[in-house]
Amino acid sequence: MRVSIDTDRCSGHGRCYVTAPGVFSDDDAGYGQVVGDGSVSDTQLDSVEQAIAACPELAITLERP
Amino acid sequence: MTETVRAFDLADAPMARSRTDGWRWVRDAGEVFQAANGTWMLTSPVAVQYAHRNPDLFSSAKAFDQLGSPVTLIPIAIDPPDHARYRRVLDPMLAPKVINVMDEALRAQARELILAFADRGECDIVDDLARLYPTQVFLTVFGLPLADRDQFIRWAETIIENSGQTLEDLSPELMENALALFAYLQTCIADKRANPGDDMLSRILSIDGDEAWTEEEVLGLCFLFVLAGLDTVTAMIGFMMHELARDPALRRRVIADNSLVQPMIEEVLRLEPPAPMTPRVTTREVEVCGVTIPADSLVMLCLGTVNRDTATFPQADSVDLDQADKGHRAFGGGNHRCLGSHLARRELRIIAEEFHKLIPDYEIAAGLEPEIAWPSGTFHLKHLPIVFAKAATR
Repeated sequence: MRVSIDTDRCSGHGRCYVTAPGVFSDDDAGYGQVVGDGSVSDTQLDSVEQAIAACPELAITLERP
Repeated sequence: MTETVRAFDLADAPMARSRTDGWRWVRDAGEVFQAANGTWMLTSPVAVQYAHRNPDLFSSAKAFDQLGSPVTLIPIAIDPPDHARYRRVLDPMLAPKVINVMDEALRAQARELILAFADRGECDIVDDLARLYPTQVFLTVFGLPLADRDQFIRWAETIIENSGQTLEDLSPELMENALALFAYLQTCIADKRANPGDDMLSRILSIDGDEAWTEEEVLGLCFLFVLAGLDTVTAMIGFMMHELARDPALRRRVIADNSLVQPMIEEVLRLEPPAPMTPRVTTREVEVCGVTIPADSLVMLCLGTVNRDTATFPQADSVDLDQADKGHRAFGGGNHRCLGSHLARRELRIIAEEFHKLIPDYEIAAGLEPEIAWPSGTFHLKHLPIVFAKAATR
């Protein structure tokens, strides 16, 4: 599974890196970015799903195999 | 289809005592409709999101032009593409990484304010804490003397009370205080140019070349902070402490488990957004949720109703710490997402944590039912008197 942020939609609310800090981090402007290549392990899945729901801009997509 | 609710007058909403009643009343009027005064209301998540995602159709610049300000508010009164140029400069100055560096200094100031009344056994949260702290934080972030706090608050509160009129109708009180504030800020700007510090104002003034800001742009940014960054946080401190004061079980959970502080803050932001309706003006005829809105219409994006949408939030009208963050819109959305949102969240967090270290138990003074001023564009509790066991402060 791989997660990505639509940077056109992201407006820097910062909910993703608070909700799933291992998967997302904040860039120098406070906008969310994916850590590494965006791979999501089974143990991270719950927090990633919460981050997707927490994003007010609906900017996060999770690709499932 | 044109859905128009001519009889709708927002001032009739039962908002003063209860935002639950008030927002339900607004939402029940429809998803997209025109109020009696001609203003259009977007009340559903889909409708508001459409406006947030289409800033070319819903202009913030045109809306703030109509509201009347002695100076162009930077960056809220700017539309794309110029808007992005300002945000590229400003966002990194108010990012969490920058706020982390200031955390201890801001925390110490909060502690000092709370200590001043901790041994009294009573206080008014609004007057003794919520009105003071956001201005201190602003002065700290901009590198201005804390000694100027009370004068600054007098200017800012008078400006806020008298703002919102049309351009032709700017009140003398607004102009007088705005000019006094501008004169003060111009002196500060000259000082910072001569002796730059490690602060936001100095960093903006240090930008040179083609990207350099004019003095009017700097004043426009400062004025936006005054209009949007002080009373909103004042309001949120009041609403947060109100919720914690009237719900001892909630308070005890938050004190016992620090990881619940942030979810508590998000829930209060969701339920009591201090700027719950943000204005836009349509740049051409536009259809929203099947309703046609003409060009040049004033449109209110109603964040208060979006935040209580029952399809999104199962416990729409109460604080529920177990209700995971479902993306509330207290800070708006799209390109104009509140510039100070990270700072505001930190201020609330610091206040909650530092208050509870000194005063863990408190309740609303007997016989009082806190109300907001209504009708009003921004929401805040006028007073919040609380009582508590006197803390040993030394």
